[in-house]
Amino acid sequence: MDLPSRPRPALGDNYPVAGLMRAVLEKGRAFRFEARGTSMLPLIRDGDVVTVTPLSGGEPRTGDVVAFADLGADRVRIHRIVKAGSGAYLLKGDHDPGADGLFSPEAILGLVARVERGGRTVRLGPALRSPVIARLSRSFLFTRLYRRARRAFGRREGSA
Amino acid sequence: MEEKIDLSRVYGPSDDVVVREIEGEIVIVPLTSGIGDLEDELFTLNETGRDIWSRIDGSRPLGAVIEDLAKDYDAPDGLVRRDVVGILQELLERRMIVERD
Repeated sequence: MDLPSRPRPALGDNYPVAGLMRAVLEKGRAFRFEARGTSMLPLIRDGDVVTVTPLSGGEPRTGDVVAFADLGADRVRIHRIVKAGSGAYLLKGDHDPGADGLFSPEAILGLVARVERGGRTVRLGPALRSPVIARLSRSFLFTRLYRRARRAFGRREGSA
Repeated sequence: MEEKIDLSRVYGPSDDVVVREIEGEIVIVPLTSGIGDLEDELFTLNETGRDIWSRIDGSRPLGAVIEDLAKDYDAPDGLVRRDVVGILQELLERRMIVERD
């Protein structure tokens, strides 16, 4: 008999996690996994570990960073609601030039509640629930402002 | 701590796990720490592991499960028992499988 000696951990880059995440969140539990990609820079970097919590009956709002099922690509994505309409959400990565399109409420799996980097929680303040960032992101201003601020900050650091 | 396994007892999946079959493997996410954690706590079982998992379903004593597996795999009872108990031990320690009344 070819029996496994022990269960083994496994997670690939394109691992289909939508069904697992939905099942965990439906039990009222949080879901923690590694995010890949750069579409949510500067808040979430490639390799950050993200914790998603259930919606708990509340409706997600404009500005919320959410996990949603991108069924066309058979994967979960983490992006921001940049506009909440009647029965549909416009989603967009903060670092993406364009929006993902409109998604139904059923596609929204949960809210991003925590981001960890290098084993430590990243202090993001209200950035995970920010209508202001949503407004800036719609016009791609958020990334441009961030880059400008970083350049300015870098100059100050250099002159200190 | 090592759990004592009794072949006359019935074991089954815990309510605190989420199980899905993905790409031919059984994926188990335990929720015992209050979180479904794909970073530290995700487990997969291969085809044989899946066969064992599906039979430890809370309906029959473990001894009967081992007998069935030995018959289906045409393998000695003792060998099957050793391997099944080994896996069950780990699953019990991780609270993925629990003893049923």
